[in-house]
Amino acid sequence: MWRKSALSLVGLLAAASLAAQAPPGATSPRDSALGAAVRQRTGDALGRLEAPEAAGRAAQRVTARDNEALVKDLEHKIRCTCGCNLDVFTCRTTDFTCTTSPAMHRLVLARLDSGMTEAQVLAAFQQQYGEMIFMQPPKRGFNWAAYVMPFIGLGVGIGLVVGVVRRWARSTFKAGAAAVEAAAAAPVAGATPEELEQLKQELERFEA
Amino acid sequence: MTDLGNIALWIALLIALWASVVGFVAGKTRRPDLMRSAERSIFAVWGLLVIASAGLMHALLTHDFNVEYVAAYTSRNLPVFYTWSAFYAGQKGSLLLWALVVSTFGSAALLVNRRKYPELMPYVAGTIAIIVVFFVATMVFASNPFERLGFTPADGRGLNPQLQNPGMVFHPPMLYLGYTSISVPFAFAVAALISGKLDTGWLHAIRKWTLLSWLFLSCGIVLGMWWAYVELGWGGYWAWDPVENASFLPWLTMTAFLHSVMIQEKRGMLKKWNIGLIVGSFLLSIFGTFITRSGVISSVHSFAQSNVGWFFLVFLILAAVVGFGLLAYRWPMLQAEAKLESMVSREAAFLFNNLILIVIAFSVLWGTLFPIISEAVRGTKVTVGPPFFNQVNVPLGLFLLLLTGIGPLIAWRRASTANLKRQFQWPVAAMLVTAAALGLVRMSDAWSIVAYALGAFVVVTVAQEFVRGTGARHRLHGEAYPLALVRLIGRNRRRYGGYVVHLGIVMLFAAFAGLAFKSDTEVTLRPGQSVDVKSPYGYTYHITHQGISQYEQLNRFVTAASVDVTRAGKYIGTMKSEKRQHLDSFGNPTFEPSTAVAIHSDLREDLYVVFAGAVNGTEEAVYRITINPLVWWVWYGGLVLAIGGLITLWPTAQGPTPVSRRRAEPAGYVAQVGA
Repeated sequence: MWRKSALSLVGLLAAASLAAQAPPGATSPRDSALGAAVRQRTGDALGRLEAPEAAGRAAQRVTARDNEALVKDLEHKIRCTCGCNLDVFTCRTTDFTCTTSPAMHRLVLARLDSGMTEAQVLAAFQQQYGEMIFMQPPKRGFNWAAYVMPFIGLGVGIGLVVGVVRRWARSTFKAGAAAVEAAAAAPVAGATPEELEQLKQELERFEA
Repeated sequence: MTDLGNIALWIALLIALWASVVGFVAGKTRRPDLMRSAERSIFAVWGLLVIASAGLMHALLTHDFNVEYVAAYTSRNLPVFYTWSAFYAGQKGSLLLWALVVSTFGSAALLVNRRKYPELMPYVAGTIAIIVVFFVATMVFASNPFERLGFTPADGRGLNPQLQNPGMVFHPPMLYLGYTSISVPFAFAVAALISGKLDTGWLHAIRKWTLLSWLFLSCGIVLGMWWAYVELGWGGYWAWDPVENASFLPWLTMTAFLHSVMIQEKRGMLKKWNIGLIVGSFLLSIFGTFITRSGVISSVHSFAQSNVGWFFLVFLILAAVVGFGLLAYRWPMLQAEAKLESMVSREAAFLFNNLILIVIAFSVLWGTLFPIISEAVRGTKVTVGPPFFNQVNVPLGLFLLLLTGIGPLIAWRRASTANLKRQFQWPVAAMLVTAAALGLVRMSDAWSIVAYALGAFVVVTVAQEFVRGTGARHRLHGEAYPLALVRLIGRNRRRYGGYVVHLGIVMLFAAFAGLAFKSDTEVTLRPGQSVDVKSPYGYTYHITHQGISQYEQLNRFVTAASVDVTRAGKYIGTMKSEKRQHLDSFGNPTFEPSTAVAIHSDLREDLYVVFAGAVNGTEEAVYRITINPLVWWVWYGGLVLAIGGLITLWPTAQGPTPVSRRRAEPAGYVAQVGA
């Protein structure tokens, strides 16, 4: 199993180079030999479901545009307003009862078709819904507090730890120096070599 | 039986109230009779809550739909497996489970520790009783699971289909066990602060409880990720949802405590910090429930929201005032017995580890609350979703991963250059080789390169420890290597269990880094049509739509879409994704149709196929196909982490280390040496 695990990680390395050269994705659908034969026999008739309503929201045919990287990227940045907390892409491809995210998807496509750039599409959504339409707060004004506070906390924490350690290290050094002087002046009175060895071992265990 | 359960709940409230008063009086007056009374009261409360739980379970299993809770969460055709899990599907039942588990852990803690820590136990009993009073009072005054309807419906509403999943049978109880078991360490911390018995003794009492709590929480979180992945159908396992964050927060602070407690045991330092972490962990576990139940923050976990959030908020504030107030009161008594000597030492590494864990906890809490803060400050609502949390936490997490490798190997007090060279030359070499190899193959994501390089660093540090330890036993005792390895772990379970936990953490990081190579594709297929999807590993999945079938199964009507899948020309199976329309006992649809995902999983990646719907009511199907690299490593990383936790938790005959035992003695080891 571990050999397979190692191979898996090695495989990921190889994958990385491939991913860099040719992004993963799908080709257009095409008929298999069996599919073509069936279609020829049935005259391309599609079987109808006995209870279509049980299969959830009626699905729309997927077009090549639905899979465009720009569309996906935009929709990952915009929140679905149905209250699900998901971005538009995730919601429309996950929550098949939601009718909001497909509508927002169509709006994204329409805005892109009208010649808007990515930034203009995002600005149009913000104008329509406010800042909460974005999956993360836009980096401006008070919103910067969201991004910088954890790192300010980290900086303050590091400063405190370094300061405390330095102060302690100095005092420990002074105390250690004083102890060394005291020890030199008054060696352990009456200790046998065996007792000293035992003490040494005890200290080593303590420090282990 | 149901009415008996309701009566038991009321009696439990009265007895718990008595225990909460008498426990503190017993601690103050040191009267053994009062202590016995407090202890027996806790046992009695436990018995009464068992009766109440049996009453609710009886109502659920006998379909007593006159009970509002039973009617709201079950139906006659709900499989028994999920009928009993409905016990905690809603808020009222989960409050009862909370109270039951707190009283169970509290009783166990009293039984185990009554002779070891007699000065602390009255206060522990009193604190546990107050926590139980809170939960039982919340139930009887605001959210009673035994509340009856004015009529008896013919059938119940049924259980939300998303909760009808094995993951949801085990995930919530695990989380509850994690949240509730931290009550015991909190009770010991309060007891130590009130009594002034602030030696290391109380730490011995709580370390294993905290580890147990951490273990339950870890399992609960990973099971929750698994449920989200297989049930929700969005192709991921962690969405930084407020409720997910709420479970992550106490996990982070407990992890920090489990590291910093070693410094207190070894060197008598960080006493204030450790008490603060325990109090903070308890408060965060209550905060998690407040978030879940109050609806104050929008979340997908909206199964059980109500007004009891305000009860939790008040309790949270009171517990914070008492916990931190006591800590401030005893501040002068919590002086360190030793001081840090160098920045290049294990103590310093652990301090930085604690710092990073707390900063991550802060960033998660800050991000979770930022929408409320923004609205309060600017009057503008904002959304703080996964892009924010990933951006902030990825660098912090990687820094933590680095410290995971450094901390266990660096010497206590002050590391010499020789120590550093001996311990880190191979791990650093492994890290550099991995980074170079990934650079050579042109891995496209910089964070992933850093994650895998640091992962290699940590794995080699851990492997080095096992190899050296096993080799030493082999040479000293002449044991065969496998036996030497087993005995090595057995002799120092805490240390080597910790290393196994670190391996689990590396596996999880490897999986998270794999997300950078995830891909999603939507496609419409007629029966017989195929699509080729390219994996990030380079090979191609050939996916052929077979058709759609509809049939009844258990309590649902299923629409199943099937695809045949080959990978690199080799047939790997038929995958079936479903839409499930749940039905009540009369065959009427209940809830919206839910999705069952088809997943083909191996060590390298998951092929994740979701049937998105049928076009115009025909067999022409829309699929979302996701390639998720390294997801397997999340589940098995979680398993390794749990195994490591169990190894660490497993009792040893020796108990605490000699150094730690001496520190717990009144005179203290340092004082003896210095005398």
